Amino acid sequence: MKASEGLFDDSVVYVTTQGTQVRTDQGRITVYDVDGDDGELASFPAEKLDTLNVFGGVNFSTPFVRRANEHGIVLNYFTERGQYRGSFVPEKNTIAAVRRAQYALTDEEELAIARAMIAAKIRNARTLLGRKGVTGTELLEDLRLRASEADSKDELRGAEGEAAERYFGLLDEALVDGWTFETRTKRPPEDHINSLLSLTYVMMKNEVLSALRQYNLDPFLGVLHADRHGRPSLALDLQEEFRPLFCDSFVTRLVNRGTITHDEFTQDNHLQDDSFQTYLSKFDEYMTEKLTHPYFEYEVTRRKAVRQQAILLRKAITGELDDYHALEVTH
Amino acid sequence: MTDELVNVSDLNQYAYCPRRYWYLHFYDTQGRSYERVEGKTTHENQSSRGDWLNELYLESETHGLKGKIDVLDLEGARTVPVERKRAESGDYYKSDELQLAGYCMLLEEHIEEQVREGAIYLYETDQRMHVPITEDHREAVRETVEAIQSMSLDSVPPFTDNPTKCEACSVREYCMPAETAKLEPERVAGTGWEDEL
Repeated sequence: MKASEGLFDDSVVYVTTQGTQVRTDQGRITVYDVDGDDGELASFPAEKLDTLNVFGGVNFSTPFVRRANEHGIVLNYFTERGQYRGSFVPEKNTIAAVRRAQYALTDEEELAIARAMIAAKIRNARTLLGRKGVTGTELLEDLRLRASEADSKDELRGAEGEAAERYFGLLDEALVDGWTFETRTKRPPEDHINSLLSLTYVMMKNEVLSALRQYNLDPFLGVLHADRHGRPSLALDLQEEFRPLFCDSFVTRLVNRGTITHDEFTQDNHLQDDSFQTYLSKFDEYMTEKLTHPYFEYEVTRRKAVRQQAILLRKAITGELDDYHALEVTH
Repeated sequence: MTDELVNVSDLNQYAYCPRRYWYLHFYDTQGRSYERVEGKTTHENQSSRGDWLNELYLESETHGLKGKIDVLDLEGARTVPVERKRAESGDYYKSDELQLAGYCMLLEEHIEEQVREGAIYLYETDQRMHVPITEDHREAVRETVEAIQSMSLDSVPPFTDNPTKCEACSVREYCMPAETAKLEPERVAGTGWEDEL
């Protein structure tokens, strides 16, 4: 478990320690080791917290849930491995007007938002490869243009698919010796790199899901990903622009710096328990690392950048902004 | 147009920045519903000690207002509503006067007597400042009530004319004035943020 500093960064807390209980104690939110003897493990001011993500065997006291409701804190439940299971959403977070605007989006408006997301994703893929000194990325620029001018969602998905294929074909060159990336496999991931990518996409999806929940958007109603029972389509949509930029660059960093080695995987390509803990703390560290925002020019943590995109998305949906401005990094 | 009664404290919020008020009112963006807290106080909470009356809740259909007067000073010939403020600067704001005027208007309807002044008590300096309530104040209250009642979800008020107000504003992270100026400059045309570009 990791508490980060600063307003937006303290705002999301991950509780991954099994056998703990989240409680409230004199206005603070505390995590208590009920199964073991470690007592209080962490404590956060309720005013700062807006999202609590719990993984696996963690429970809540009833007074805590009451306080979460009062303070507008969203609780997201995940399995120990990070699969989303459901949420507790405070009553005041259910702003009908936002939902209504989201449900009222026309196909054209959805397409415009999706185009911005996918074009940014392709641009960011090219940027990541460029940073790693990988050449031969011109085709990606063509595909980005195609995506940004797509007349239908199918056409957009087509450009996205081709770009992904091209990009993953080049990603191998961004890895140090001893690591290879053959092809992207998902269910199940067939090698260590694919396993790390899948895990990181799940973690990022959870970040995005938290951000959407916090701003009252319905994460299950997508603009590009088809709606399917239990699939947070809008979170998957918004995640697109962060995949190369934040997820893939995090995974390459993990292996290129030797933070995660081949020895740390089980037979079925999962991280061993200790390494999974290391992974989680590295991920949180990564999300709270600062970068200079490409448009706003001030320093933000990656987590804040993600949350700002949820705000910008909501503003585009409710008509406070004309367009959705995806996070696009050009160098 | 709604005929819902406007909270006197909202006059102050609106005068500070209509856009900020819009977020708080329609989106509860700040995460705390100050209105709910305000609304809790009702007649039952009245208590009287000597020449002071604490927490008097009043409503007026005529003015379209409702609100709770912090303290009512009954000493002497006049009845003076007192509004307590925390102000680090050691002074109150113009918008505080508007709020006070709202209380005076509510009060005079209640006691059927003219209320020509109110007072603002500043915690920091332990000062009580008397504010004469003019016809201009009353007119400003009436205009603000009307503006608040005719607000709608679909029309986002423009950014403030005075960007320094944004510095301490709790909804800034959501409102994103500087960010909007960069992303869609035409959106800040005619506001104080235009000059920041």
